[in-house]
Amino acid sequence: MIVITGLGAVTALGSNVEETWDRVLRGDRAFSAVTLFPADDYRVRLVAEVPDIRKDGPDDFSRTSELGLRAAREALSASGLDAARPKRIGLVVGGSTAGMLETESTLSVILSPEGTVDPEVRDEALRRMLSHPLSAPTDRLARELGPFVRVRSLSSACSSGANAMVVGATWLELGLVDAVLCGASDALCRVTLAGFNALGALDPEGARPFDRRRRGLTLGEGAGFVVLERAADARARGKDAVCTLLGWAAQAEAHHITNPEPTGDAPSRAMRAALARAGLTAADIDYVNAHGTGTPLNDPMESRALQRVLGDEVARVPVSSQKGQFGHTLAAAGAIEATITATAISRGIVPPTGGLEDADPECALHHVRRAESRPIRAAMSSSFGFGGMDTVLVFGRADAADRAAPRRSRSVVVTGAAVLTPAGIFDGHDVAKVPERDCEGDAIGYDLTAELDIDRARRLDRTSRLAAIACGRALGPDSKDAGVVLGNAFGAVDGTSAFMRRLREKGPRLASPADFPGLVPSSPAGHVSIYLGLAGPTLAVADLATSGECAVTQGYELVAAGETDRVAVVAVEEKSTIVDQVFRVVFGPDKRDTSRGERPLRREGAGAIALAAEEVAIARGLPIFARVEQVLSWWNDETTIAEVTPPPGGAKTGAVVIIGVAGDANDALLRRAGWGDCRRITCAERAGSHEAAGAIAIAVAAGTLASDASIEAVLCVGIARGSGYAIRLGRYRARAS
Amino acid sequence: MQRSDLKSEIKQLLVAELNLTGRDPSSIEDDAPLFGTGGLGLDSLDALQIAMLVEEKFGIRVPEGDEARPIFRSVSSLSDFIGAARDAKAGGAPTG
Repeated sequence: MIVITGLGAVTALGSNVEETWDRVLRGDRAFSAVTLFPADDYRVRLVAEVPDIRKDGPDDFSRTSELGLRAAREALSASGLDAARPKRIGLVVGGSTAGMLETESTLSVILSPEGTVDPEVRDEALRRMLSHPLSAPTDRLARELGPFVRVRSLSSACSSGANAMVVGATWLELGLVDAVLCGASDALCRVTLAGFNALGALDPEGARPFDRRRRGLTLGEGAGFVVLERAADARARGKDAVCTLLGWAAQAEAHHITNPEPTGDAPSRAMRAALARAGLTAADIDYVNAHGTGTPLNDPMESRALQRVLGDEVARVPVSSQKGQFGHTLAAAGAIEATITATAISRGIVPPTGGLEDADPECALHHVRRAESRPIRAAMSSSFGFGGMDTVLVFGRADAADRAAPRRSRSVVVTGAAVLTPAGIFDGHDVAKVPERDCEGDAIGYDLTAELDIDRARRLDRTSRLAAIACGRALGPDSKDAGVVLGNAFGAVDGTSAFMRRLREKGPRLASPADFPGLVPSSPAGHVSIYLGLAGPTLAVADLATSGECAVTQGYELVAAGETDRVAVVAVEEKSTIVDQVFRVVFGPDKRDTSRGERPLRREGAGAIALAAEEVAIARGLPIFARVEQVLSWWNDETTIAEVTPPPGGAKTGAVVIIGVAGDANDALLRRAGWGDCRRITCAERAGSHEAAGAIAIAVAAGTLASDASIEAVLCVGIARGSGYAIRLGRYRARAS
Repeated sequence: MQRSDLKSEIKQLLVAELNLTGRDPSSIEDDAPLFGTGGLGLDSLDALQIAMLVEEKFGIRVPEGDEARPIFRSVSSLSDFIGAARDAKAGGAPTG
């Protein structure tokens, strides 16, 4: 049983949970014209802005990290865990565009026409781009609030905050941590205000969820964090819990990149799965904290989903949304609303839907216009993100009985692999040949459209196309229940640059509505889910040069913990002119002489593997490439590497190390693991040195085990800044039952 | 500009800007429905993109919401709307 022992929130309504909660109950709306940047030419300027946030700090400072730091510190302090820190504590941070507000200023220098900016100023701006990878806010939180034993940055657009709690809960269930600080943070910026304006999704009079006159959402900003731990651990240290986290479910709609599936069928499946996970039925639910954005499409869809799930109980169960008060805080929404739902349960007060006056008959629910005191046994909170990423959390009272079916960690196998490099597309056992196959140039020159149904793939940007091809090949047919995990260090750099250039040159009225959804870092994962029709949990993770290893680790955890039976894990490096410029400035020009056969190091490419629970792979007769024997992940403590099982039969026989990018740090690490003398294959010379390299290496590892009977085990390692990963795959043999 | 030229310009714009790769602009029927099945199969996100493109390329603002529906029915209806707005502009009448 998992309990929440600390809450933290920063919103436009208040600088902590208490202030936000008091003003939520009063029905206050915190909407005013944006002041963070000049916005005279934006159609709708009304936002929910957090006051009094400082503007600068360390190199990687961002408004997003500052908001996150405040809320995370409050949650950690409330939990009482921050003092002596005797436990293994994890950190999970959800986000969307991370330091975009700051990156926009940097981009405006980089995008200035040649000759209008001093070259040194321009180079400095290019260097600054590296200060804001998607994982930067997480790194800052880890640095200032740590140490943590395990750290994760994730994004699933507007369900990121809820998914941070799903990941935190699975860490507790898998025994990887003793407590976990999880939540999300998101700050207002030009890109999102222009993008939601372009989508016509903003209500000029401020969001009015479920109201007949509603015209859209109002963008907000903020952060929410909670501390999760096992009930027994909290009890043992004499800490009273705020409430329990009883159930959760993350699923995908596989419908459309911006529009919800109108019948509400997909969200209702997620709600039912979360209730089943909690061992509850609709009769046990006394409050629903809705996604309730106030857009014309969301609210009736969500009402239909709730009507289906609650059945006859729908007239009894109060439903409310606070997005008409502190706005839609995007990535942070699910986390902030979790703190609201937890507070509602612990105080026995149902918060209202601020801004709702005339309820839409299309949204026939038990609406709450004024705060009501009433006991809440259990409550459900929903979050739906771009790309159709639905996550539902179920919370109960601190003294709730544990009715969930017990779970065990499941054995995980690799059922497929695929790699794309400039040399071609490799799948099945052929993936093992990637390190042998030479290629010309650094970009993929063959026609990707030949691999895709181009009518259905027309909205997919290049990264999404590479990811969809790799995932489709790795998964094979009949994979509709699979989830998708994308590893992505920087997000859509060129896409964002193009969007910003248009914004600068043509103004926000001419911002492209079709291009905007592609700027959300989880967008390629959503596109893969939609294109391949996959309904499992769908999200992106980021961890600089080890984003590929991080994605494999995340995918493994989801399958091992039973969140999904199958998952496609993919990392992609697309040819990017901006990233090329950044690397030229930071690392100097690529000195290798291509005329003498030396190859450029940064290459376009993608690597994917399909993972499945062993029992599922056997029952479905899926090809089994390898067993996932060990997945280790650490933060600033490399001693974890000593936990790797030594190579079978000594170093010289049957054991191989396959790594994406070679480096001195790897050597030391491998010696510590007892794998220092094993044969080593490095993929970078052929597949490129980049953020996807780890995923390519792990795909090659699976292909090697499947195709070479002399190899018993493969170890893949990757390290970047503070974090490291060691993933050990072994020859598959059915276990005697 | 002739309405027939305008129609072919619109068709080329749709194919290029909505990534309808592999479709020959001249194969799009003037009166075929742009949205839903039985036509180009476009959706509401495409409608927003078209509205933005019409404003960018022709300097004409497309009304929002229900008013826009008949305008987006087909290439013909789009061409009629753009043509009429241009004529009104040429005649000095406000185009909104």
